[in-house]
Amino acid sequence: MKLNRRSVLKTGVASVAAAGLATPLIAQARSLKIGSYGGYFENSFKEHVYPAFTEATGIEVESVTQPNSTDWLVTMQQATAAGNVPADLSLYARDTLIKASRIGGLLAPLDLAKIPAASNLDSYFVYEASEGALGVGAMSWFTAMVINPNEVEAPESWAEFWDSSVYEASLGLSRNYNSQFLDIVAATFFEGEATFATDDGIVALVEKAAEIKPNVALWWSAESQMEQSMKNGDIIGGQYYLDVSNLMALDGFPIQAVFPKEGNPQDYGSWCLSSISEKADEAAEFINFSSDPATQALMSRMIGTAPLVDKSMTDLTDDEFAFVSGTPSIKPAYEAYLDKETFIKETWDKMLAGA
Amino acid sequence: MSVADGIDVPLGDRPAAATRLNWSKLLPWGFAGLVFALCLVPFFLVLAISFGRKVEGAAWVWDFTFENYQRFFVGTLWPDEVTFLYIGQLGYSFWYAVIASCIAVLTALPFTLLLTRLRRSAQAAWLVFILSSLSLSEVFIVMGWDILLSNNSGLPALFKSTGLTQWLKDTGHFQTLRDWGLANPRNVKFKTSDFATILTMSYLVWPYAVILLYPALSRMDPSHSEAARTMGANNWQVLRTVILPSVRLPLFGTTLLLFVFLLGTYVAVTVFADPAKHTTAVAIYQNVRGANLNAPFGATMAVILLVSAGICLTLGHMLNRWAAAR
Repeated sequence: MKLNRRSVLKTGVASVAAAGLATPLIAQARSLKIGSYGGYFENSFKEHVYPAFTEATGIEVESVTQPNSTDWLVTMQQATAAGNVPADLSLYARDTLIKASRIGGLLAPLDLAKIPAASNLDSYFVYEASEGALGVGAMSWFTAMVINPNEVEAPESWAEFWDSSVYEASLGLSRNYNSQFLDIVAATFFEGEATFATDDGIVALVEKAAEIKPNVALWWSAESQMEQSMKNGDIIGGQYYLDVSNLMALDGFPIQAVFPKEGNPQDYGSWCLSSISEKADEAAEFINFSSDPATQALMSRMIGTAPLVDKSMTDLTDDEFAFVSGTPSIKPAYEAYLDKETFIKETWDKMLAGA
Repeated sequence: MSVADGIDVPLGDRPAAATRLNWSKLLPWGFAGLVFALCLVPFFLVLAISFGRKVEGAAWVWDFTFENYQRFFVGTLWPDEVTFLYIGQLGYSFWYAVIASCIAVLTALPFTLLLTRLRRSAQAAWLVFILSSLSLSEVFIVMGWDILLSNNSGLPALFKSTGLTQWLKDTGHFQTLRDWGLANPRNVKFKTSDFATILTMSYLVWPYAVILLYPALSRMDPSHSEAARTMGANNWQVLRTVILPSVRLPLFGTTLLLFVFLLGTYVAVTVFADPAKHTTAVAIYQNVRGANLNAPFGATMAVILLVSAGICLTLGHMLNRWAAAR
């Protein structure tokens, strides 16, 4: 047969139609495509979490690599418009979830009656919009203060990072306006989330952040930049993910995660169902499985994320818990970051540019 | 849609000549279609998106507003407040590209001159080596320099182990480096700095400079230089009055090409430049992807970058014609 694009398409359509016709005749294996952040994170899911789920429910999982939350939202937005999405369930951080909900038409409401285990979670972690629950918390992570213990003592407060006699040109902070450094400034020097309520408050936060600029050697935009710089000794402190920092420390690199008295920002990811997915039932079963305290503990042990259920519900030891979590936690000002997006971004970028 | 889809001819039925005739007629149309689909459509799409409107806290919608263009020149808070942040970024795009392309061409010129005087086989070996280095992507090159300039394994480590750092501290020059942002209290540091950014960008295009200059320089008649020398010209005079004028056009063309190429540099700037000196290319990416999904503003910056590059090329062309006419 001569093979051209048309004939391939025709054959493809025919075989899909044939598969559709055949469905009632043979028992179809149930499956679900789940997105998670690529690399170590996704591998741990594939190795430890998905097999346990398949064993418990018989539903096969196809793992899909997400670069992160926000870029994935762009991909899913385009895919939804095209009518064919790469994943049924996606993992979105809370701000991306709210953004997706505001864009509209991207997420399907979840049937909480089919997810009884979600009641284990604090209600904050079940995101309800007008159309229903759009996301159920999957796991949580901290952006922690990190230092090189060979070079400096662990600070008691974030405020010490502003001290140029110790940290001149030596810190690594995230370059993005919404990567929670402003929340740290708000918790350390101002009234926390309340300071984000007014434009003047935000300007004050950014001005305080500007004072740390002489101490920053690296404004990282990719996680790997921060990892390399800590390993290479280009910097001796900064903000970085708690789980990765602890793993690096286990591997013998000079990095120590610290919980200063103001705490560290805590963010969390939610499972969200694509609006054009036909796997709502399978998705509900997976979310139910993921909300189970045993699965939450499994993820803490194997992936290094903080559990979304109370520690007492899990069998995590104090050491295991301290590895993935800590107190106090700083809750990011999600709504302000979204409502005043352009204003905060431009004010922050101006601060970085010194313009 | 490719052109081939349009021709549904059973090949055996017609004389071969007719088929050939069809092809020769269709080919130019096919190329026109290809240019249209691959160049013009994306460009008009970007242009159309640049008039779109950002929805705070969500994505963006189609619209016809000049707000994005206004924001580029005066900032989002205008008229209450004015910022030249984005013009500044455009300025840095040009600044890095001009300096890095000039450095690349100026260092490639003597190298290529010497190269053309080698034996044929040696020339071929060098050219193959330089061509093969083009297979390294920007990411690899930046990664390499990142390691070469990092504290524990690169140049700063060399400074420390040879005692150069201590010597700088003893003589007081270390403070000057700190003032320039090239040192922290412990050791010298080259990231982030203009030095690292421009070094990497020049390195990135250097092989192109050699390859673009090579044909012109290798065609140059050595008897001209020899004649000048027998008339008593020294090396510098030969370079200034014989060699440079005869390669003026390729020299200028190469610099312009590398300049345009470097305008869009992304990885080197993100990794090595201080955020205060980030370029339009970086800002475009941060708006389109990243956390804020402001494709219209990103598209606006892309259009302005393109128009500015176009103006530069036109000016360069005019300058060249003016110089040739003199």
